[in-house]
Amino acid sequence: MNNQNAIELRDIKKTYKNGALEVPVLHGINASVAHGEYVAIMGPSGSGKSTLMNLIGCLDRATSGTYILDGVDVSSLNDNELAEIRLKKLGFVFQGFNLLARTDAIKNVALPLFYAGIPQRKRNDAALAVLEQVGLADRAKHKPNELSGGQQQRVAIARALINDPAVLLADEPTGNLDTKTSDDILALFNKLYENGRTIIMVTHDEEVARHAKRIIRLRDGLIVSDGPSGA
Amino acid sequence: MMYFDEALRVLLANKLRSLLTITGLIIGVGAVIAIQVLGASMAGAVNGALGALADNSFVIFPNSRQRDASKASIRLSDLAAIQQSVPGILSARPLGISSQLVRAGHVLARFSVSPEGAPPFSNLPIVYGRNLNADDVAGATNVCVLSNDAYLKLFPGGGDPTGQSLYAGSHRYVVIGVLAAPKRGFLNLQFSGAITIPWTTFVHDYVVGQNIFGAGFLVADASRIPQTEIAVQNKLRDLHGGKDLQYQTADKAKFTQGVGGIFNALTLIVGLIGAVSLLVAGIGIMNIMLVSVAERTREIGVRKAIGARGGQILWQFFIEALLLCSTGCAIGLAIGLGLGAFINDVFIIKLTGTVVPIPWLQATGIAIAFAVVVTLAFGTYPAYRASSLDPIEALRYE
Repeated sequence: MNNQNAIELRDIKKTYKNGALEVPVLHGINASVAHGEYVAIMGPSGSGKSTLMNLIGCLDRATSGTYILDGVDVSSLNDNELAEIRLKKLGFVFQGFNLLARTDAIKNVALPLFYAGIPQRKRNDAALAVLEQVGLADRAKHKPNELSGGQQQRVAIARALINDPAVLLADEPTGNLDTKTSDDILALFNKLYENGRTIIMVTHDEEVARHAKRIIRLRDGLIVSDGPSGA
Repeated sequence: MMYFDEALRVLLANKLRSLLTITGLIIGVGAVIAIQVLGASMAGAVNGALGALADNSFVIFPNSRQRDASKASIRLSDLAAIQQSVPGILSARPLGISSQLVRAGHVLARFSVSPEGAPPFSNLPIVYGRNLNADDVAGATNVCVLSNDAYLKLFPGGGDPTGQSLYAGSHRYVVIGVLAAPKRGFLNLQFSGAITIPWTTFVHDYVVGQNIFGAGFLVADASRIPQTEIAVQNKLRDLHGGKDLQYQTADKAKFTQGVGGIFNALTLIVGLIGAVSLLVAGIGIMNIMLVSVAERTREIGVRKAIGARGGQILWQFFIEALLLCSTGCAIGLAIGLGLGAFINDVFIIKLTGTVVPIPWLQATGIAIAFAVVVTLAFGTYPAYRASSLDPIEALRYE
């Protein structure tokens, strides 16, 4: 780990243009996340948390402001450069798992390495190793429809981890899971955090957010509070 | 290749849809290749048929539908006159055919007897003995050369028949040679009778009076046939004293040209069918590819989120289109070749005896060209559309 922050946001503004109408969503976000932090971003709908998540995830560009991810200024990169950043520095976990149907767990997990141009044998070895980490090595050849929701989310987490990302981004990772399974997934996140992984999670659920070590609360496009979760 | 694996999995997951999508391509490519194969075998059959005719020969006969038809009739004496005055003519002979009851030993059959010159007009190879020579023509000897058909019927025992005699009507001829079997072609063209004798003998034995049906000439230079034909026509008008007399000529080049025109027209029609089927099949494939892109919007979003570049998404869908198109073209190729080979076997080979090789290479080339063109023309846009999807929009897509 270097001394730089994993994420540094300086006066990030985002305005959507809908024809002649301009809709400002983020009014100037300043925040930084150090390596190894476990942060939850909270806020009611319309607060801009999804927009912020998309910006942090390099799926979108800010209208103004500077975003430095793991030492790289990604504010003005083009689409292909952003794809490269997502491939190398970010891991995504979605609410709906978003695994490829009819594709076994190991292939799903290895997919980012395919786009990185890694040969198949290495891909499989690496995928098996991360599946081991999430406790699903024995399900490597199972397809998503042969796995429970919790197992599918573990596969998705393994996929997010395979490129050893600087930041793991989770968007409502327990939104589709029952309480028991949610606890399992959150326990997995905790284990990853303890192993030094930087995690940013977006949620509207206080229960879930409390598992993170720090909570950033948004309202109307501004950070209204930023502090320890008390966990 | 993971792109191929994935494309294959997607296509196999929708087997019926994939099959229906490529049906147009299968039919189009199948039809074009079947016709291609047929065209090739017909052309081969015609060429085989014309092969027996010497390149440097032509025939001339009066146009029967003219007012002075009797005045135009070619006379035996014309032959020598033309040979003397028109340059470049090697030999001349009358045209004619005479149907005779022919007997050889105990075998009796009806055959046509026709005149032949030296050198001969037919360039069929000799199987037994020799062909007619200048001495036979000069001396009007009673010798004959048998076609392969006549030989097989008249000498069922086989063996070398030269030196044996046969009787055509009241005339006796000594067999001096047997010709190889011709490639007759689907037009069933025949350029000489079953039994050929020196033309002088033919005139002596079968021509009554001075008028002959027509004349055939061998020239020194095949490339000068058109000019020679005109010179002969003019000479005949001179000899018969009528500026308006009409004569028709025929030669191998003219015939080949005529047949070539038919095949050019056929090729054009096949090309049009191909273009239309290409268009229709391509639209169907493009439609399904667009549906596939729409259905998998979310998947495309996920792929982009985990770091796939636009080009990689484009490639994936492009490979899918390519796989669809090449499968369709491969099936079409197999069906087309099968159909073409079947028709070739049943009609061309059985009817004409001409064996023409199936143009495998050309047909495969056509099928590959179809696959590439359809993929490029109709697979590119859906793939581009997939690659240019906004990942955020795509991820939100339900």
